[in-house]
Amino acid sequence: MIEVKNICKTLPNGKQLLKDISFSVKQGEFVGILGSSGAGKTLTLRCLNGLLKPDSGEVLVSNSNGEMQNISTLNKKNLRIARSKIGVIFQGYNLVKRLSVLENIMIGKLGQINPWRSIFYGFTDAEAAAAMEVLERFKMAHLANNPTGSLSGGEMQRVAIARAMFQEPQVLLADEPISNLDPGNAQMIMELIAPLAATVPVIGVFHQPEMTAKYCTRVIALKEGRIIYDGKPELNNAQLNEIYGEELQKVITKIAEPELNALNTTNANEAI
Amino acid sequence: MKQFSIKRYYPIIVGLIVFAALSWGAAISCQIEWTGLFEGIGKGMFFLKNLFPPDWEAFPEMLQPALDSLILAFLGTFFGTLMAVVFAVLGAANIAHPIVRTISRFLIGLERSLPELFILLFLIAAFGLGSMPGIICLSLGCIGMLGKLLADAIEEIDSVLIQSLTAVGANKLQIIVFGIFPEILPKLLAYSLFRLEINIRLSVILGAVGAGGIGYELDYAFSMLQYHRAFSALLVVLVLIFGIEKLSAYLRNMLNIKANLK
Amino acid sequence: MKNPATILPSAQYKRKATIFSVLSIIVIGCCWFVEFNPFGFFSEFHFVQDLLSEMFPPNFEIIWDDNSMAMSILQTLSMAFLGTFYGGFVAIILSFLSATPTMPIVWIRNLTKFMLSLIRVIPSLVIILIFVIAVGPGAFAGVLTLVITTIGTFGKLFTETIDNTENPAGEAIFSVGSNRVQMIKYSIVPQILPSFISNLLYAFDINMRAAIGLGIFGGGGIGYKLHMAMRVLHYKDATALIALIIVLVTIVEKISNTLRKRII
Repeated sequence: MIEVKNICKTLPNGKQLLKDISFSVKQGEFVGILGSSGAGKTLTLRCLNGLLKPDSGEVLVSNSNGEMQNISTLNKKNLRIARSKIGVIFQGYNLVKRLSVLENIMIGKLGQINPWRSIFYGFTDAEAAAAMEVLERFKMAHLANNPTGSLSGGEMQRVAIARAMFQEPQVLLADEPISNLDPGNAQMIMELIAPLAATVPVIGVFHQPEMTAKYCTRVIALKEGRIIYDGKPELNNAQLNEIYGEELQKVITKIAEPELNALNTTNANEAI
Repeated sequence: MKQFSIKRYYPIIVGLIVFAALSWGAAISCQIEWTGLFEGIGKGMFFLKNLFPPDWEAFPEMLQPALDSLILAFLGTFFGTLMAVVFAVLGAANIAHPIVRTISRFLIGLERSLPELFILLFLIAAFGLGSMPGIICLSLGCIGMLGKLLADAIEEIDSVLIQSLTAVGANKLQIIVFGIFPEILPKLLAYSLFRLEINIRLSVILGAVGAGGIGYELDYAFSMLQYHRAFSALLVVLVLIFGIEKLSAYLRNMLNIKANLK
Repeated sequence: MKNPATILPSAQYKRKATIFSVLSIIVIGCCWFVEFNPFGFFSEFHFVQDLLSEMFPPNFEIIWDDNSMAMSILQTLSMAFLGTFYGGFVAIILSFLSATPTMPIVWIRNLTKFMLSLIRVIPSLVIILIFVIAVGPGAFAGVLTLVITTIGTFGKLFTETIDNTENPAGEAIFSVGSNRVQMIKYSIVPQILPSFISNLLYAFDINMRAAIGLGIFGGGGIGYKLHMAMRVLHYKDATALIALIIVLVTIVEKISNTLRKRII
């Protein structure tokens, strides 16, 4: 599980980017973080795996022994160890395109094996077999030896998720994982991620409220660095308006479309 | 209509006048005498006739020096590429500490400012004659060229890739081996082969200044006025350079095909 | 597509290890053949230290004292200038003669291409030796050498640039009834001009360094002065000259790069 307590981040010029963010996520939950651009979503996520250090507050992640560690205070070496147990998926460019899919999966364990052995020898056959198992679980075993650059965007994101799961992480983080994908692929990825929550807590930053409404178990909304909502994933128009402000129009149209269509058909029927 | 079209050519006319003036000034400072040129053409033609035919007996003696030059170029490129990779990684903003990056880039730039011939003279002054100054000189040249090109190539790698490797807990060295090397490997090989072509020519020129090999043979024959022998050496040089160029082009082509197949 | 089971990491490692071993054997063999000991660089590094101690502190006085210093700098710049622009001029003409869109007559094209290859393959060492015999040592021989080497380097490059121009514009102009010369003027020249100018500026940069290097072979300019200083073991003077050269070359490089960025 992962727990965040009062993290703050301020720019040198005094502007506060994150103000007292606190929440905790445990196994079984799939949390979607929403907010307009600049609200602090990505910053929060980066604090969760140590890519960014908050100015104050704590980020507690359980390590393999079950104890909670504060990531923001770890030294370099321990941070690496902690990171190896946190899985992250990015919007794009997660993978080394010139290496094969199998190699990209095995890269997930880089933080957990002896560095010198990994550099001078590479990976062991046992690790390769374990990676193949993960690929089979994700139904991508037939792609194992393909160079990653030849895969489509959706397939690449699936490999990225497989790699994160290969780490056997304590928590899975996702930074706008579907923003680069077309709707079909986006849905596939969401359907892939959602069941993972059964084994690890999943936290994702999204720009698509309709997706979080459908797949997440909980939604946290940020505005100007503060949490303004933490609860059920289904949001009504007033709440969306609160979160997004001007972006509202586009959002409403997407979610309200079925209702609008129904209205049009009714009018059409009446006309006839 | 006529006035209009003349005005259009003003900038070109002015440019030509400036250019002519500069040329005239430059020619004077270089002590160019046109009479000398005409005489020189005569001398040159006469001299070129003297080159033919090549000294056939000298050819077998040219083979070992040619091999020396070839190996010098190969070793210089080999060690130079290895060191260039180190400098390139140290000189890339997305991997190296800013201070380290600045120093590395500065050294690379410094190497490029100095003409190879003088670097060689200094190395000979330090280490004496032999193969070491030549190989070190060629390696340094490699660092200058490949170091810059590869450092730029590394900086073009998307930062998210490096972030994602950091996120799985990889340390700096692992990031370099698993993230950076695979991405720059094709460019590395291509640039390296290209540099080999340059290095074989340099090897010949440096040979005349003291690095040995066939360049030395050529220069020596010239200064001893044994022009037929010099011509033999020249022919061997031409074959050597031409051969390496073809080899390099062939290998680079194979790399391209392999990359496209993937 | 290979059966995933066949590419095991251990097999890959074996392959990589074999390549590494073969390469190492070749390299070690070469080192033995030319009697090169890579570690000698470190064990004999003290020679470099000795040399460096003789080279520092640099004697910057000679830059002011030597009356002909300014002349030498001017000479080197002039050599680079003349070599670049006249060599470039001839290179452009030859490239027009050896490129497909501008020279439809095949035998002229092939002949010119062959000549360009020949010039390119001959090392500059030979060229300057010949010119020194023809016109005597000095900057004149240097200029002629630079002209020839510029033609060699850029002739092929320019030819490829012309060959790679887009045709549609040319065909459009052809179709309205103009002849080949007009097509060249309006279709090809605008496309190649930025590239040509950019390359000429780059050539100036290269020729600057080459001009200094040629000083060793009697080419004149600062290179000659540096060579002389080293020959008489005036290492402190030499260091000062090197500093001067670095400054000069860096300035020329910066100007060349800035102008080239403006073109693009």
